[in-house]
Parts: sequence; C-alpha cells; structure tokens
Amino acid sequence: MPSVPTNDLPASQPKISLYEGSTQFKNWRYSADQLKHIRRTLNEAAVAAIRKTFETDEPGSSTGVAFLNADEELLLVKLYITKITQLCGHFRFPEEVEATAITYLKRFYLKNTVMDWHPKNVMLTALFLATKTTNNPISLEMYTTHIPKTAPNDVLDLEFLVAQSLGFEFAVWHAYRALWGIWLDVQNFPGVTEKLETSLYDAALNHVRASRLTDVELIYSPSQIALSAFSLVFPDVASQWMALKSPHEVSTLSTIVDDIKSIITTHGHPPSVESVREVDRRLRLCKNPEKVVGSKAYLARKMDAERSAAEKRNKKAVEVQKAMEDGDPFGNELAEKRGLAGLVDYDDDDDD
Amino acid sequence: MATRTKVGGWLQGKTVRKGGALASATHTRSSTPQVQSTSTTVFGGGVKDASGRTTEYFSMDDQCPVCKSDRYLNPKLRLLVSSCYHKMCESCIDRLFTLGPAPCPICNKVLRKLAFTPQTFEDLTVEKEVAVRRRIAKEFNKQRGDFPDLRSYNDYLEEVEDITFNLINDIDVAKTEARIAAYRAENAALIELNIQREEAYARDLKEQEEAEKREREQRAAQLRREEEEEREEREKEKREIIDKLETSDKSAARLIAKSRANAAKRSSARAASATAIQSNAKLLRTRAAVDVPDVPHIPLQDNWYSYDDKYQLNPRGYNDFFSEAVRKDREGIMRGGGYMVEEAWDRALRCAVAALDLQPLVGLDVPAPWPQTDSSGDVIMAAV
Repeated sequence: MPSVPTNDLPASQPKISLYEGSTQFKNWRYSADQLKHIRRTLNEAAVAAIRKTFETDEPGSSTGVAFLNADEELLLVKLYITKITQLCGHFRFPEEVEATAITYLKRFYLKNTVMDWHPKNVMLTALFLATKTTNNPISLEMYTTHIPKTAPNDVLDLEFLVAQSLGFEFAVWHAYRALWGIWLDVQNFPGVTEKLETSLYDAALNHVRASRLTDVELIYSPSQIALSAFSLVFPDVASQWMALKSPHEVSTLSTIVDDIKSIITTHGHPPSVESVREVDRRLRLCKNPEKVVGSKAYLARKMDAERSAAEKRNKKAVEVQKAMEDGDPFGNELAEKRGLAGLVDYDDDDDD
Repeated sequence: MATRTKVGGWLQGKTVRKGGALASATHTRSSTPQVQSTSTTVFGGGVKDASGRTTEYFSMDDQCPVCKSDRYLNPKLRLLVSSCYHKMCESCIDRLFTLGPAPCPICNKVLRKLAFTPQTFEDLTVEKEVAVRRRIAKEFNKQRGDFPDLRSYNDYLEEVEDITFNLINDIDVAKTEARIAAYRAENAALIELNIQREEAYARDLKEQEEAEKREREQRAAQLRREEEEEREEREKEKREIIDKLETSDKSAARLIAKSRANAAKRSSARAASATAIQSNAKLLRTRAAVDVPDVPHIPLQDNWYSYDDKYQLNPRGYNDFFSEAVRKDREGIMRGGGYMVEEAWDRALRCAVAALDLQPLVGLDVPAPWPQTDSSGDVIMAAV
C-alpha cells in the first residue's frame, strides 16, 4: 500500500480488523452445529405453535397433517435461491445484487420459518431490498411487471419484516469480490499471468456461485470461500498464494479450504425439482393458518391485535384526559414525570 | 431621462428613477428639450449606491402633501424631501423657497431650497436614519486600534449608537448636538488622521484593482496573440506538408510522421513558455498558502486494522478483463463520478486477504444470537 495515514492510537489497544468489525462477523457467523440447532429449534417451535392454532380452530384437525422438518425447509429455501439467480439473469442485475439477495434470504430463514412465510414472496422482497441496499435501484413497477403473477404489494408487504429479521444489517462481504482480488494478486507471481484465462475465471466464479447454495458463507469468511473456489481451478497457484499470505498457518488454512471445497462439491447443486415439489405440496397443507389471509385463525389473530391496539389507544386517551384535567396538557413538571417514566407508554400506535 | 441629463449636466450623481416603464415612456414622448426647472439644479443629495448613482423612489400613488397635485394630474411629478423629512413637489419648492429661506408648510421649520434631496427609500424614517448614520460615521471614525482595550472600544461604539439613536428619534437633540461638538473638539486631530487613513486605504484598493485589471487585459491580449500565432503555424504546416507531398518523392507516411514530430516539438516548447507566464499567478497563490500549514486530513480516528501489510497494489496495474472498458475509456465517461479502477482493485485485494486466518466456529457452546421466539413461533422482534 502507498503510505496511508494510519492513526497510531495507544498501542495498548489491539487493532480490530475490518472484517471483525462487520455485522457479518458479529451477528451472522455460526458453527455448523449451531446452524443445525437453530433450524431444529425454530422448526420445532413453529410446528408446536401451528399445531396449537389448528387445534383451537378445529380440535383434532392437526393429527393428519405432516409438518415439514428442518431439512425440508432448507431444501425449499435452496430452491428459491436458484430462483433469485434466474431473476437476476433476467433483470441483468450485477453479481453484487444476486449475492446480497441470496444472503438476505438465508439470514431471513435463520430467524423465521418457511411455514410462516413462503419463500416465494420473501425471495422477491429480499431481491428488491438487495437492489436498493447495493445501490442498483429499480422501480417497483418495473420490477413487478417483469415477474408474472406479482403485484407491488406482494413485495412491499414483507419488506419491513425482512429488514427487521435481518436486524437492519444490510452490508454483506462477498466472496466473489475476494475472488477478483485473488485473481489480481496472483498476477504478482512470475509466469502466472499467462495462465489466467477468462474462461478459467468463469469456472472459479461458478464455484463461488455454487457455494451460495450451501451454508459456507454463514460459517467461513468470504476470502476463505473465494480461495477454495480458486483452488478448485488452480490448486498449485492457490497453495502458493496461501503460503505467501499466511506463512505460519498454512496447514490450518488448507484444512479450512479443503472443508469448503468438499462442501461446495457435495452440496453446491440446485435441488431436484421433484423432491421440492413434494415438499411444497405438503407446505400448502401445513402453512400457518394465522398467516393465510381470510382463514379463521387469521381473522382471530387480527381481531386480537385490533383489540389490544384499541386497549392501548383507550389507555392513552385516558392518560391524556387526565393530563388535561391536571391543567397542563403537556404533562406536569419534569421532576414528577421522571418518577413515572417507567409507567408512561411513549409508544405510538403507528406500529400496528 | 438621458435628454435631461445631457441638458443639465447638473447632477452630482446620475439619477435613476425607480418604477421604470411608465416613467420612461412619458419622457420619450416629449422629445423636445424640457424647460429646466431651476429647483432641480440643487438636488445633489440622496443615497448613492456603489456606482455613484442615486436611485430615486417613485410610485404611482405619489401625491404632494402641500398642493395635493398627484401623478394623475402631473405625470412629471417629482417629490423631494426636506431636511425635516417632509415631502414636497418641485413646483411647491419653487413657489415657496425661491425668495429665500421660508418655514416648512408642515412643521414650520425654516428651510432652504438647497436642503432638499431626492427620496431613495419609500419609508422616510429609513431615509433619515441613513442620513444620520452617514453624518455620524464621518466624525465618529475611530478604529479598534485607537483604543487600549476592547472594553473601551465597545464603550465608544455604545456611545456612538446612543447619539445616533437620539438623533434619529429626536430625543434631546440639543444635548446630543452638544455631545457631538464636544467630541469633535476633543478628537479633531484623530478624526482628521482617520479620514486620511481611510482615504489612503480606498486609494490603495482602487490602485490594486486597476493593476489587476491591466494585468488581466495584458494576459488576454497575449493569449489571443499566441492563439493567432499557433493557428498560423498550423496552417503553414499544412501547406508545407502538401507542398512536400507534391514535390518530393519520399514515402508519404514518413513525411507526415516527420512533420508531426516537428509540430509536437514546437507545441511542447510553447507549453513551456506558457507555464512561465502562469507561474506569476501561481507564485501569488503559493505565497498565500504558505501562511497556513497544511495538516494532512485524517477523516476517521479509529482503531481499525485494514490488512495493509497483507497485500500491495501493483503500481503497474493488472491484466484485468473486468476493468478493461474503464481503463480504455479515453474520454473518461465512465470515470465521470470519480471512479478510479485502482480503488476498486484495492477493495478487491483487501477483500481477498480479509480474515483469511479466521478459524470457523465449532460446536454449540459458542455465544450466538439465538432466535427468540414467542409462543406463536414468530420471532419476537418481527412484529406482524
């Protein structure tokens, strides 16, 4: 690097690397076991909740329903990841949009279940959100008119939910960019530049794309994934580069790379349509009725929500009334207010 | 209006009437030279703007408070302001004050014909305030440097403001005038000195401006001359090439290449001489810049490690088919927004080495943000 002015703060504080400062590192990095556990508990909780809704709706109706298990949910998500790729090809979105949308979809289903929110709609929303967060905006009309059987509301209704599930953490580090960086950096090796052909780059990029169908981005860092993809195409150059970049930990790094390689080659394929179709058919039966517009449970829940909102409103009205009677419509002295701070509901009603 | 100015030549400043079209129309209609009213010869007052012109207030509703004639009856009605700030039309002034000082028909103050001034502002109190302030500023012209400390300077300014206020609002006029007189007597020398100082400053400023103007003109002329020369030279070259192609039997491509090389040499010589001319301006600029030491700007004070030791951007660039279009973009259309391919490369390289040594998490007992679900299976934070 040319001399970038580095700010030497007190040496006692260890420097934090940029990746470790990212939300991707802080909040979206898991172990493989953790992922399994999260998906299982989420699935179990959802199944229990939906079963209860079925029972309150009509006792005994849940016995015949075959709920999805965690693996089947994952299969469905994987299918819709391939749909994102198709849509991006259709709209000619850049790589960044595609990768970001796929990451959003995966992260969303670590907080929510397929039985509540069908990935078809979530996928559309995630992609639309990704166009905006990566600064490749497209008008909503344009977006929905090019996708059959989609209204603007299908996209917008879920937008806040998706953003909220992502914790409003939209910045994503991508492996494809790291791959480009490796591609550039290995040109410093003598005699390598001649070997680097566009078709080989495309082959490596395809491995990165395949990695998006797997969980690796939730476990490993983007540079490791890119290195693995590169290593699948240029094994010798990759190991040379590895030795240069981390001379002390070549062995651990190569184990990581080998792990990722095996995951990409074994899991990095789109799911077979037959198996997914079966899952989707069953999903139609075990969808959370509370989320199906017009169903009894949906109406019940809606009424519930409305009742609680009305209660809240009434409570607020009473409070305002009281404040008016006290003389000062803006409340009493600050000193008195401080004592009551915990009791006063500052919340607006807008969030309902 | 122009005719009037020409006929008279009597105004100290040129008078421009506000309110435009109609006024000028009435003037152009009467193409015969107007009989000049004697009263107009004296009116040199009013508030001048930067170019030395007096802009006169003018309205369609003007009416002389003395004779009640208005613009409807007399389109050439011109109202002037007395020293007691009452308006009167020119004919009234002529009628009342030609025979010497006479009392104002409104307030009975004795007025002279010479003391009438054109009106600049619609509001006469503003007119008065401007006049008073101008008068005060002429005498109370001490500067910060004439005082030992800020406190006494501020006291002085306060006093000046007091006097001005009194004069504007006619409070204790006699006493205030006495104060002014006392001040004048006390500080006569200093006032004179300050007047001279200000004059000198104004003179300097003017001289400087003129010098700059001269220099600009000179430079423009030189530029024009150079351009002319260059054009001529080009024409000459063209003619030479054609001549040579006609006469000589050498290969055409070589002839053209040779003359091109010659032209390039000449143009570089010209550029060198041009920089010598510009260096004058540059010198001034650098002299101005010397006073302020240039501290390197560091936008963020943080403690991030950005993997700078792990990679190095190749200064010779890369063999990169992605950025080919940008690098070959000669007109710089793609770089319009400040896009630099080096920065994109830098980001990619940084991304390539970021967290390369990071160990993946293993097992279940690592702290992780478990999803929190409520009884309905929804994520709690995701309100429906």
